[in-house]
Parts: sequence; C-alpha cells; structure tokens
Amino acid sequence: MSHLPTAIPVAVTAYTSVCAAGVGNENLQAALLTNETKLGRLTLFDVAFSTPVGELLTDLPEIKPELNIYDSRNARMALAALNHAPDDLRQTIERAKKRFGGERIGVIIGTSTSGLYETEAAYCQLVERGQLPDDFHFLTRHAYQATPRFLQLELGLFGPCFAISTACSSGAKAIGAGQRLIANGVCDAVLVGGVDTLCRLTLRGFHSLDLVSPNQCQPMDKNRNGINIGEGAGLLLLEKPATANNKCPRILAVGESSDAYHMSSPHPEGYGAELAMTNALLQANLQPSDIDYLNLHATATPINDSVEAKAVFALLGDTLPVSGTKGITGHTLGAAGALEAVIGLLALSHQFIPGTHGLTETDQNCRCRVIKDPITQQSLKTVMSNSFGFGGNNASMIFNHEHT
Amino acid sequence: MNTPDYIAVKATALCCQEPNALLPFGLKSALPDKTLLPSSLRRRSGLTTTMAVTAAMRACQQADADALELPSVFASVGGEIQVTDELCRSLTDINYLISPTQFHNSVHNKTAGYWSILTRCQQPTTAIAAVDDTFAMGVLEAWSQLQQHRGDILLVCYDELWPQYLAAPMGSVAIAIAFVLSMDIEGSHQGLIAKPEIRSKPIKLEQELIELSRSAPAAACIPLLQALRQASYDGFVALNTKGANWATRFRKA
Repeated sequence: MSHLPTAIPVAVTAYTSVCAAGVGNENLQAALLTNETKLGRLTLFDVAFSTPVGELLTDLPEIKPELNIYDSRNARMALAALNHAPDDLRQTIERAKKRFGGERIGVIIGTSTSGLYETEAAYCQLVERGQLPDDFHFLTRHAYQATPRFLQLELGLFGPCFAISTACSSGAKAIGAGQRLIANGVCDAVLVGGVDTLCRLTLRGFHSLDLVSPNQCQPMDKNRNGINIGEGAGLLLLEKPATANNKCPRILAVGESSDAYHMSSPHPEGYGAELAMTNALLQANLQPSDIDYLNLHATATPINDSVEAKAVFALLGDTLPVSGTKGITGHTLGAAGALEAVIGLLALSHQFIPGTHGLTETDQNCRCRVIKDPITQQSLKTVMSNSFGFGGNNASMIFNHEHT
Repeated sequence: MNTPDYIAVKATALCCQEPNALLPFGLKSALPDKTLLPSSLRRRSGLTTTMAVTAAMRACQQADADALELPSVFASVGGEIQVTDELCRSLTDINYLISPTQFHNSVHNKTAGYWSILTRCQQPTTAIAAVDDTFAMGVLEAWSQLQQHRGDILLVCYDELWPQYLAAPMGSVAIAIAFVLSMDIEGSHQGLIAKPEIRSKPIKLEQELIELSRSAPAAACIPLLQALRQASYDGFVALNTKGANWATRFRKA
C-alpha cells in the first residue's frame, strides 16, 4: 500500500447531525463550544447497571404511512436529521436530484445495530408467546440496509444503495465508499453517513466486556475507566467537485486498514491505527505536518486510548492539537465516524478546536497534545478524524476547507 | 467514457451446506470445511465464517493469490443472524449476563475480522449489506475499490441459515461465493466484468433462480458464474434477481 494512488477529493455540499445535544448542527456546535456534556440517565429501556448515556430526548418525526414498514428509531433519527431545515440537507439533495437525476445519486449509510432496538422488544413477545408481533418487519426495520433504503425511498433516489456495518468504523467507511463512487464516475452525488440508536445489546454487550464506565467517561485521562454509549446520526451529501461548490469543504481521503489481531481488542502497538492514518495521508498526498487538528476516536477505555495515543504520537508527534468529543455525545458506535466527521467540518467552518470533556489530567502514557478546553479563533485548514471498530477495523478521514 | 472499465475475474469458489442445491444450475460447490480454520477459531466461528472462509480460501488458492495482500469486501444480508437471534432471546431477561465473546461475534464484520486475523492481512476489509441487491452492491464496491487502489481484491458474498420466523424463506438455504477480482486484465483470467450499472430493461431470469435467491441472497451470483463457464460470451449479466436491474457487461473471448 506504500504506493497508494492519490484519491480524488469530493465536495461536502451539506451536512447535518443528531445526537444527545439535539437535532441539528447548531445544538452540537453549542455543546462543543461550551464543552458541556449531554450525557444523562437512560430512559429508553431498563438495564441492571448504571451508566450515563447519550440519549436523544427530543421527539422524533413520524415516518410517512406509505413507508411504515421502514419505521424504526433508527429511521426516525435519520429523518430528523434530514428534515432539519437550517442544515439544508434535504433541500441540497433536491437540488442535486434536479441537476443530476435520482439515478445518479447513491445512499451509503453506516450502522452497527440498525433497528435492533425494535427487534429486542419484539423478542419479548417471541419468547413469551412463541411468535413475533404481526407488525414485525425484519428486512425493512432491523436489517442493516433498512435505514439507507428508507432514505432512498423517502428522497426518491435510484442510485446504488447499501449499508456498511463494520462496528464503530461504519460511518467513516461509508464516507470513504461514497467518495470512491463519485471518483469512479458511478455517481454524481452520494448521501453518506452513519445512524445508530441505543439498544440493549450494545449497552449490555459492552458491559459484559467490562468496557462501560459507571461514571462520566474521561477520554485520555489517567483515571479513565470505560465508555459511555450514545446514539445519533451524521449525514453528509458528497458531490463531485465543481465551480459551484468550490467554497464547500472537501473530503480528501479516508484511509482504511485492519489490525489482524483480535476481535475486540486493538493491536497493543497501534499498528492498525497508524496504518489507517498513514493511508489517509498517502491518499490525500499530505505530510503529517499538514494536519491542523485531529479528532481522536478516544472512547475512554484504558487500552483503546493508550493504543491510539501511541499511534498518533508515532505518526503525528506531540505538538498537533488533538481531542476526543465522546464525553459530550457518548460513543455513537456505527454513527460515530459520521458524527465526528460533522464535528471536524464544524471545526473547519467555525475555526475552533473542540475540547475533551471529562479530561482532568492527561495520562502521561498518552504522549499527545490533548486539548482539554475548546480553543476558538484558530486557522484550521486540514482536519483528521479517527474511527476504530471491532474486528480491528480502522478508518481515518481527512477534510479540508480553504477559506478565501 | 467509452472504455467500459473492465476488471478481471481471476477465480471463483462456491460453498454450500447442501451439496446438491446448485447442481440444477450446472454448478458444483464445496461443503463448509472447519479444518481450514485454526483450532482457536473453530469453536466460535459458526456457519457464516466457516462457509465464507471455505469459499475465500479456495478462491485465493485457485487465483494463486496471497491472502495477506488482498483487501476484501464481505457482503451479507443477515451476517451473524444466529448469534444475534440467540442474544435477542437472552436479552429478554434483564438480569442475564450475555457472553462477551458472543457479543463481539455478533457484529456484521465478524467474518471480515476473523478473515483478517486468520490471514494476518492488514489491508482494508469492509462488510456491507443491501437485501436483494447485496451481491450487486458487493461487486460494485469491489469494482470501485479496485479503480482506486488497483491490484487484486477478494469479494465474498454469503448468508447462513436463518431462523425462519424472521423473514422466511430468506435464509432457508446457505450459500457463500468468493471471487478474486483484479485490475490486471492482461493476465490469466476467467472473464472480464465492467462497471456494474442499472439497466432500464430487466434481464430475464429462470424462475428457479429467482426462487433460490429468495432463500439464499448470494444465489444472485449464479448468472455470472454461468457466464464464466461459457467458452465465449459478450453481453450483459444480471447481478440481482429481484427486479434484475443491476447488471454488468461481461466479456470472455
């Protein structure tokens, strides 16, 4: 891979988000600037242990009757993001449709559990009464492709449509796949992103792995003891570069790699993480010194953060400002890559470096310049964002925004 | 834009739990072979990983490709559906402690993850899903990655046996298919496929094939496999069966 060809950049003509901070970028932006946590008590369902979660407490929009078989919390969360008028995503897609035609626009969405939240409830009936509820629609509510397919139908698009599910790197990989489809001329625009909703499996699964913190998570802190799980969505419209969008930020590259080491534990030396960042730099044709800010994966488990810090230090050194934002939003799993892509784009657009909520004292083994409180009035041009998932699945994105 | 952007099919290998399921289509398949997995993985691999690895290993051998060097695309509708089913049953009891191994084995990219561990391959691997278009989108993603990264790529499309109360008849037949695809169209190959595209006129398919695809989504690979077996061919081949609107131009001299 040392001769990775340069990737063709794509324009991000609109982007939006939903997370515990609320619906729309302005809520996320406000939480980032005040470095205020949006984590709280879980209200969606009960679990037998206590942990703060990043739950969205806003009412979600209803799915229109003709698409009722796609109705799930995941689909509703995606719809909330799409409908948020100030972020202009739906309108931008409509304009792209007029320009390119619906068959030239793809939909690629990352998710780790899709509509599992609804399936878990349906299984109570299966176990009690021996059959699933009549309105159980596995392929359109639970299956991985349910949310991208819903978005495709909701928007009247006809291009390629699929889900990527590589655990916590899903959202970032979807952005990479979308960039490729445009670069290869398959699509003129691709709606990409990640959507994941809280469910029993992920909370109790990470708890069984001893990775859930009973307290507010503390990314990169010497006392960090685990993650807080969140839910959310990040949606971005990627378009082929054109004069009309030359003021829009660019996705330069998404570098990918595998740890080839363990299903749920990162390579102790961080080789996979370093390789993903190296591949991103190669594809973007950039040097480490070209990066102005790195949004870390930083889940706040002892091992993940120390391994990521090792890889970051080895490749990017200890002067680059880095931070982790999961103390604000929680770890949104399959949506994290896309939600943090939005955070990277907000940082570029508003020229600030987000802080690391929950960080009190940086672990001395994490030899990076971890930013604790947000810094405004920066001059950022190029931002990197990391996402690493189960299966040793790594992705590192690079965004660029030239302010002229 | 007139060049159809061909890639080469270097090797294909099928794995099916029912040895005779694909004979009506003139295709032979291997049985899932647990001995291909190291003993440490054998116990926890389950049918999905065993089938996918059986097909992938055979395709790599046939292509004389080093798995260590190959990026890979894993395409499946339900992925680890049996593990997920069992976990969902356990989760109905709020006090039940679920197994951490089962939890990490429930992710869609479990097979992709084990494949990378097994082959020590640090190249990117992805796991996708697209219901009836899963095979077509797998071919598209593999084609798309090759355009960017050049070289060779492994594509595996598979689904295991599903609990039939979920989406019958889907998952009533288990099939895995593996391809080694390459940008090198000058080297030895079994046929060339172009950029997958949406056709306004669907391709006519046998009813038997449409039926089998409802049970085993990976069966959508059959028209392509049949085309590869022909001595010569130049025309469009369907990549999905429902709607049959995704197709690729196929050429074999």
